Amino acid sequence: MSDVVLLAKRSVREIYRTPAATLPILFIPLFFLAVNIGQVAKTFPRSTPFLHGQPYVAFQLPVSMIFAVSTAQSGLALVTDIDIGYFDKLLTAPIRRTSIIFGRLAADLVRGLLASALVLLVGLAFGARVRSGPLGVLVLIALSALWGVAYAGIAQTVALRTKNVQTTNVSFIIFFPLLFLTPNFVPIEQLSGLVQTLARVNPVTYVIEGLRSLVLTGWDAGSLLACAITIVLTGLVLTATSLHAIRHFND
Amino acid sequence: MTDQPLAIEAHDLRRSFKGGVEAVRGVDLAIPRGEMFGFLGPNGAGKTTTVRMLCTLLPLTGGEARVAGVDVVRDPSEVRRRIGVALQEVGLDPVATGRELLELHCGLSRLPRPAARERTRELLELVGLTDAADRAIRTYSGGMKRRLDLASALVHSPEVLFLDEPTTGLDPASRITVWEEVRRINATGTTVFLTTQYLEEADQLCRRLAIIDEGRIVARGSPAELKQQLGSDVVHIDLGSADRAVTHTAVDGLPGVVRVTDSASGIAIAVSNGAAAVPAVVRAIGQAGVEVAAVSISRPTLDDVFLEATGRRLEGAGAPRAAA
Repeated sequence: MSDVVLLAKRSVREIYRTPAATLPILFIPLFFLAVNIGQVAKTFPRSTPFLHGQPYVAFQLPVSMIFAVSTAQSGLALVTDIDIGYFDKLLTAPIRRTSIIFGRLAADLVRGLLASALVLLVGLAFGARVRSGPLGVLVLIALSALWGVAYAGIAQTVALRTKNVQTTNVSFIIFFPLLFLTPNFVPIEQLSGLVQTLARVNPVTYVIEGLRSLVLTGWDAGSLLACAITIVLTGLVLTATSLHAIRHFND
Repeated sequence: MTDQPLAIEAHDLRRSFKGGVEAVRGVDLAIPRGEMFGFLGPNGAGKTTTVRMLCTLLPLTGGEARVAGVDVVRDPSEVRRRIGVALQEVGLDPVATGRELLELHCGLSRLPRPAARERTRELLELVGLTDAADRAIRTYSGGMKRRLDLASALVHSPEVLFLDEPTTGLDPASRITVWEEVRRINATGTTVFLTTQYLEEADQLCRRLAIIDEGRIVARGSPAELKQQLGSDVVHIDLGSADRAVTHTAVDGLPGVVRVTDSASGIAIAVSNGAAAVPAVVRAIGQAGVEVAAVSISRPTLDDVFLEATGRRLEGAGAPRAAA
């Protein structure tokens, strides 16, 4: 356990020592938020039923939050260590190899909390309100950050399997289909047939709906439960693949 | 096995890579505790691959190995607790400071916080980085990075220290600093396994060494023993344009002559005693009607040992001696 704490501290230190690596990641979700609101807000005024009296920004906010945390950062940090040779030093240290993964995930949690809070603040500044109140704000930020932790396994696995910086870097593209085959613009009932079917099997749908329920309607046990289960299952599966990849690194 | 197990023991160690490249083809090692052992060979000979297998970084494709008495395949974690590793490519976290890096690795070796701070201070002192301790590692020179890397391999006072080409790319002054460090570490009882492509380094540092070429050990012994095998002295005969074959025949079989080989400028004659052999050699060549341009005597070097073992000279080992 102490290994994980030490490695997590190192990873977090990296975040604040190299802000140039983290800040640009926030640009894309904030840009999407601004563009979507600007283009779609007139189509969906406050009176639109699915907005529950809020501006459209409130509907889009959870999408931008999880967009901001679904990154390849964790994998990039791993593959950078591999590239510069520091990874070998960690592998010869008297620690469990899996500590390296958990140390990275701890940093992902910190980065996720910061990024989610920041995007949320921007959303609030544009007029969104969190219907579930202050506690809801905390749960919203926490769930979004935890989704980021759960998702980190994709880039981590790519990093460990390919040992290639460029490949790891472009692995974030995987999130685009996952993000867009969801009810990200309109509720799921309003999606066309095929897209609706795909959205229903896409885990990201349940994450968005859970977060969105906290913003638009307050405490909705069913949505939150589905959201939490999705995050846990995704996290278990993807973290297991990272752990497997690091255990068999160099085999 | 004796009551005092060997520091490093390997039998028929093998590693092949995808595509069929056999990097290591049956290496045997038996290195006693406290030894400073040199593993000498050209680039691509299999030195690094051997080290990576012994350090548990690379699975073996054949054979077996024990480090500090522990099997590298069966209990890699225990091996890692007992070894320190500084690989050829210096692996450091550029964002951290020297002190942060050492404290992290002290912590990963289970030293409690105050002990980690103290050990870090000691190590920074040992490798002369106290003044640079709180600067980001990315601002360090190549020599400073090497020394920090070496220090990071020592945090837990390992029983066996692996150094993979610890001075490659260093300027002569930094090289000597690293040599001094390595000697001091070895003097405290740590077994050192050092790979190098520098003959001088092997000659200066190592009590015993093995020469590896194309994945196989081709010679082993102490530097003195290895040189001894070639005869104690080498007489170089500069022949200009004269016939080598005739000269060859003329000196072969003379008393004290161990071996005759062709060299760049003539022939090289390994003899048991250079000064005693020269008159007879020159006379024999003269009687054969060959004119000698110059004669010189030298002690065999590791370079000669390497040539004898592998059939070629080590890159950058210095120009072949021309007769003066």
